[in-house]
Amino acid sequence: MKISGSYTIRAARDAVFARLTDPQAIASCLPGVENLNQVAPDQYEMAMTVAIGPVKGTFQGKVQLADINPPESYRMAVEGQGKPGFARGVGSVQLRVIDDQTTEITYEGDVELGGPFAGVAQRMLGGVAKRMIEQFFACIERQMSASS
Amino acid sequence: MAVTKMFGAAVKRREDPRLITGRGNFTDHIRLPGTLVMAIKRSPHAHARIVRIDTSKARAMRGVVAVYTGQDLVDKLAPVPCAWLIPASDLKVPPYRAVAVDKVRYVGDAVAVVVATDRYIAQDAVDAIEVEYEPLPAVVDQEKALEPGAPQLYDEVPNNLAFHWKLHSGDFDAAWDAAEVRISRRLVNHRLIPTAMEPRGALAAYNPGTGELTIWCTSQNPHVHRLLLSAVTGLPETHIRVIATDVGGGFGSKIPMYAGEMIAAAISKDLGRPIKWIETRQENYVATIHGRDHIQYVDIAARRDGTITGVRVRAYASMGAYLSTAAPGVPTWLFGLMLQGPYAIPVVHCDVYGVLTNTTPTDAYRGAGRPEATYLLERMIDLLARELGMDPAEIRRKNFIPKHQFPYTTPTGLQYDSGDYEATLNRALELVDYQNLRREQEELRKQGRYIGIGFSTYVEVCGLAPSQAAGAMGFQGGLWESATVRVHPTGKVTVFTGSNPHGQGEETTFAQLVADELGVPFEDVEIVHGDTEMVPFGMGTYGSRSTAVGGAALVHACRKVKEKAQRIAAHLLEVSPDDLVFENGRFFVKGAPDRGMTFQEVALQAYLAWKLPRDIEPGLEATHFFDPVNNTFPFGCHICVVEVDPETGKVQFRQYVAVDDVGNVINPMIVDGQVHGGITQGLAQAVYEFAAYDENGQLLTGSLMDYAVPKASMLPSFTVDRTVTPTPVNPMGVKGAGETGTIASTPAVVNAVIDALAPFGIDHIDMPLTPERIWRAIRERSR
Repeated sequence: MKISGSYTIRAARDAVFARLTDPQAIASCLPGVENLNQVAPDQYEMAMTVAIGPVKGTFQGKVQLADINPPESYRMAVEGQGKPGFARGVGSVQLRVIDDQTTEITYEGDVELGGPFAGVAQRMLGGVAKRMIEQFFACIERQMSASS
Repeated sequence: MAVTKMFGAAVKRREDPRLITGRGNFTDHIRLPGTLVMAIKRSPHAHARIVRIDTSKARAMRGVVAVYTGQDLVDKLAPVPCAWLIPASDLKVPPYRAVAVDKVRYVGDAVAVVVATDRYIAQDAVDAIEVEYEPLPAVVDQEKALEPGAPQLYDEVPNNLAFHWKLHSGDFDAAWDAAEVRISRRLVNHRLIPTAMEPRGALAAYNPGTGELTIWCTSQNPHVHRLLLSAVTGLPETHIRVIATDVGGGFGSKIPMYAGEMIAAAISKDLGRPIKWIETRQENYVATIHGRDHIQYVDIAARRDGTITGVRVRAYASMGAYLSTAAPGVPTWLFGLMLQGPYAIPVVHCDVYGVLTNTTPTDAYRGAGRPEATYLLERMIDLLARELGMDPAEIRRKNFIPKHQFPYTTPTGLQYDSGDYEATLNRALELVDYQNLRREQEELRKQGRYIGIGFSTYVEVCGLAPSQAAGAMGFQGGLWESATVRVHPTGKVTVFTGSNPHGQGEETTFAQLVADELGVPFEDVEIVHGDTEMVPFGMGTYGSRSTAVGGAALVHACRKVKEKAQRIAAHLLEVSPDDLVFENGRFFVKGAPDRGMTFQEVALQAYLAWKLPRDIEPGLEATHFFDPVNNTFPFGCHICVVEVDPETGKVQFRQYVAVDDVGNVINPMIVDGQVHGGITQGLAQAVYEFAAYDENGQLLTGSLMDYAVPKASMLPSFTVDRTVTPTPVNPMGVKGAGETGTIASTPAVVNAVIDALAPFGIDHIDMPLTPERIWRAIRERSR
């Protein structure tokens, strides 16, 4: 399933980029993340609890960042397995300067669910993923305004 | 003793009190001490190599008794059998392992099995098994699966083509060249999920002391399952007892031999403990067979006056990832033979490609092949009518096989037993008040309201038989049926039938038959079914065959009993058997009604045997194996009236009339119920139900929340009527009513919706006709 969107954040592009690729920030802002450990450069393992409709489960997975091109773009691949099935996703994130203190983040991705999870949750995935991404960026923005 | 005629009486179903008060004997109700619970780990991938399975965490869990992978079971179980080996089709049957070895091929394929002390532990242990997969590209669409470069499911099945089956009768090219009108269409008959209320399950109990296996399971054909279980486990048939007393719906989905039941049997034998396995609803959606799933290319040749001169079909049938037990026969024989429908079409050409895809295996689902044939023909005849500006009722009338031509030999080689197609059409037209309805349609259109009238005139083949035909079609079994009638000394009767009702009500209808034949009270007749240890070999219940074949076996057995009783009575009354009359359960001397004996008195004498002559054996029972000379061919006309809201695309049902001819009717209430249920399932395909896969082979409609089984509020009220044209192929003149509704209703509903949309220039939309699809079609045409 294709997912895309954009989010405008009140912060400078360099700062936003640094924050978005900071594992601590990801772990604290991505909803449901229980732990996130770096296992290699740009590669992390995590446990994440996701609830979509009636299905809820904890996924053990990997996050891999690639093509990191500060402060403009990077790619991200996520895969996780858990009791309700598996989830896989690839995506790219672009950062554009609007002005000194405003950055537009655009994202594009493809998410795939498998197993019983797919049977029940796929049709709700678009909405849930969008909401999670919004929550994530909103949290990043809050953290940045608090620390500035 | 007051005995009235039971044949034709709307007797209430005697099985219902136990079923509706929770006192049935479904598989999960059976409890045995020491039972272990089994759960199956299933693949979340549609196509993947199994790299590694780590069962150590599961094995270490408290309460887990054993864990098996596919490799552990290779020596304990032969592959899941395919038993319809259609000839002259280059059929390839790749091995179907009960638990996958090396590779998984659909979401739901078994990869490991856990045995534990309770269900919760078993499920947790399933979750604790770690499987590393190497995902492979999957193919879901049967046309794409045949393309060069498509993912290959098996090395030994090039291009994923399991078979190519042909049935060519007459010269279609000549008919096409000579045709004044030609209609060509691509039609999709989409995939459905049977969704029986009771999921599948098994309780397998192997006794290491005796070497005997008793297995309670959800089966439409226990003897067939015993035979197949013997083949896959290596246990002799005499050491296997299959019991399927109460089965909560099947619709074909409980015919096949499945991995789950086989695994339970093998593990029970391995551990020497009873093993229970009950499917979850989610498992039912992925691991029990699906139905339909055809892509059809259809050509119709016709004359300007509406006469159809030929039909040609090229169908691509998705078989799923493995060939299920009866699967190859469904899109071939059960489909191709019926492509002329009720019409005098002289030329029929059919090519069917059975294609393996990364989806749940398909097999027989209510109607099995005939709905796919009927739908395409009824859609095409409507397209032809529209092309010619003819009334859909009149074009059908014009093409009907006329009443005086029965028995009628079809170009596909069937012999239609009896029929009067026009009578059902006329009756249905009368019931909907057709002329006025058309006028109303015209007037409403002027107001911007769109009602549509849809027809389906169908004939179907049921009472599946005879055995010789089954052999010629490559079906690895006979299609006869058995019955034993045991009269007890008190005159009470136990019937042992090889049919295995799972909702059809034969405990009632069969007792009605016996009550009439033997002149005994209905209450005195007990029907036993579903236990291979008690019942003589029987073929089971499917293909609307139980009444026409099983019921006929029963009537023949009753007549053998009656004949013997008559000889005993004649001896005791000191007359010749020919001098006796049998009426209302009593034998008496012709012209001297006072000299007689009741059936019960004769039964007692048969067992006392004090006064029997040497040439009459004591006791009173008989067994009959009935192999009919032909199938039966029920037919009818269904008319559906809908209104479509062009703003929302929503279909609202206004009226539904079904006029069926199923021959003589034993119990009209039960037949009405069958017709209601059948219409519901067929109508659901037209507008609601759809097994949706994403392109990666993930089933998106894997729950009752997503798969739209209709609720009562989503259905019209049905007007059901019948004409009666008895069949000559069985003594009761009955045809079969289990599938007529499903076969007839799908095209009736679709034709109604398309008729409603005629002002928008819409002449076809593929099913299911959801509001979205209709709305989009209207939008596209309105631009």
